[in-house]
Amino acid sequence: MVQRMARTRNKTLNRGVLVFAFNTDKWDYVSMAVYCANRVQHFLNLPTSIITDKIDSKLEQYFDQVILVEADDSNIKDHEVWKNKGRYQAYDLSPYDETILLDVDYVVNSDKLLKTFDLSDTFCCHNRTQFLMNEEAGQEMLSSYSFNSLWATVVMFKKSERAKQIFDTLRMVQENYKHYANLHSFVAGTYRNDYALTLAVKIVNGHLDDPTDFIPWNLVHVGKNTGVHADFIDQQIPDAPPGTLLYNTEFTVIYDNWKRGKIRKEYIKLKDMDFHVINKEHYVNIMENK
Amino acid sequence: MDTEKLISESKARFAHNSAKAYLKEKFQAKLLVAEQGGLWKADTETIGFLNSFTSEKVVLIDTFDNPVEVNRQDLLSTLTNTYETVMSEWCKEWQELETKR
Repeated sequence: MVQRMARTRNKTLNRGVLVFAFNTDKWDYVSMAVYCANRVQHFLNLPTSIITDKIDSKLEQYFDQVILVEADDSNIKDHEVWKNKGRYQAYDLSPYDETILLDVDYVVNSDKLLKTFDLSDTFCCHNRTQFLMNEEAGQEMLSSYSFNSLWATVVMFKKSERAKQIFDTLRMVQENYKHYANLHSFVAGTYRNDYALTLAVKIVNGHLDDPTDFIPWNLVHVGKNTGVHADFIDQQIPDAPPGTLLYNTEFTVIYDNWKRGKIRKEYIKLKDMDFHVINKEHYVNIMENK
Repeated sequence: MDTEKLISESKARFAHNSAKAYLKEKFQAKLLVAEQGGLWKADTETIGFLNSFTSEKVVLIDTFDNPVEVNRQDLLSTLTNTYETVMSEWCKEWQELETKR
């Protein structure tokens, strides 16, 4: 059952960002979603709606719409429940005509995502990645004999027959994940949206590629073993209404580079660039200015 | 987090090659422009090609490999402006990074 709580707003809903956030024993995904929504509002000037499983009246101040669904907790990752299933519901539940479906651990740090609306009339996502400070890392494949993985971290879709087909197929793949894992020789133990999306897009395209499905720049990852820290704290702007923040856009990325059996610490500075933080602890540290 | 202290205490060295790759990634995306029904990259090749014609309309292959008939002067103007803005930002940031050790 789906339940919606929406703030009263006059403006016509057209474009917006949608995030899924189901808390687990280990991670507070809803707080991550709040952090993400604040940055979306600041950098993209778009509303964010959240799909979650627990009623919390405080969420209404941060989100355009709070959409309640039942979480599917049948997925396990690293011996913990990982509630990442059900992403196919994004198409039906999105209150927007044009939606950016975003992972909550994606740091919006520029207005770059607005360009995705110009890329396709139906759907697009990333098909290539770059790991910061590990440029030689290859592209992920479902398996040695299968496809290059697409990424569900950032997905833009517009209400259209084709986008609906992709999300309907995503549901079908999720429900038959073991079969597809067997077919494509990847491990079915943990359900991954990236793999399911890859298969869904391939099926809808008749196993061909449509270049307009792919965002023409890399999804930038900060890898699991790469540290990332905010250089400044998000600060209240003096004399502005409470909650009006001056957002930090500068980050330091630190990496242990192994050379000739020795570790050498190396760093770079980032400015005005979006990135996806794979290590949740690092993401929480950024949120909490640690 | 005092990142300068973190860098100093961990004796981390600035990674020039990674910084160069990051800047390339950041600014290549900024060179993309959607206009006149196509997606274009404001690069020297496209700008040079548009400049070499005199006709009002020209057919170009966009970054998605679709042929699109465009108003040459309008697209040239947009791409030139984008190129100048983005490349000057890129150069400025690169010069800042080059001074780091």
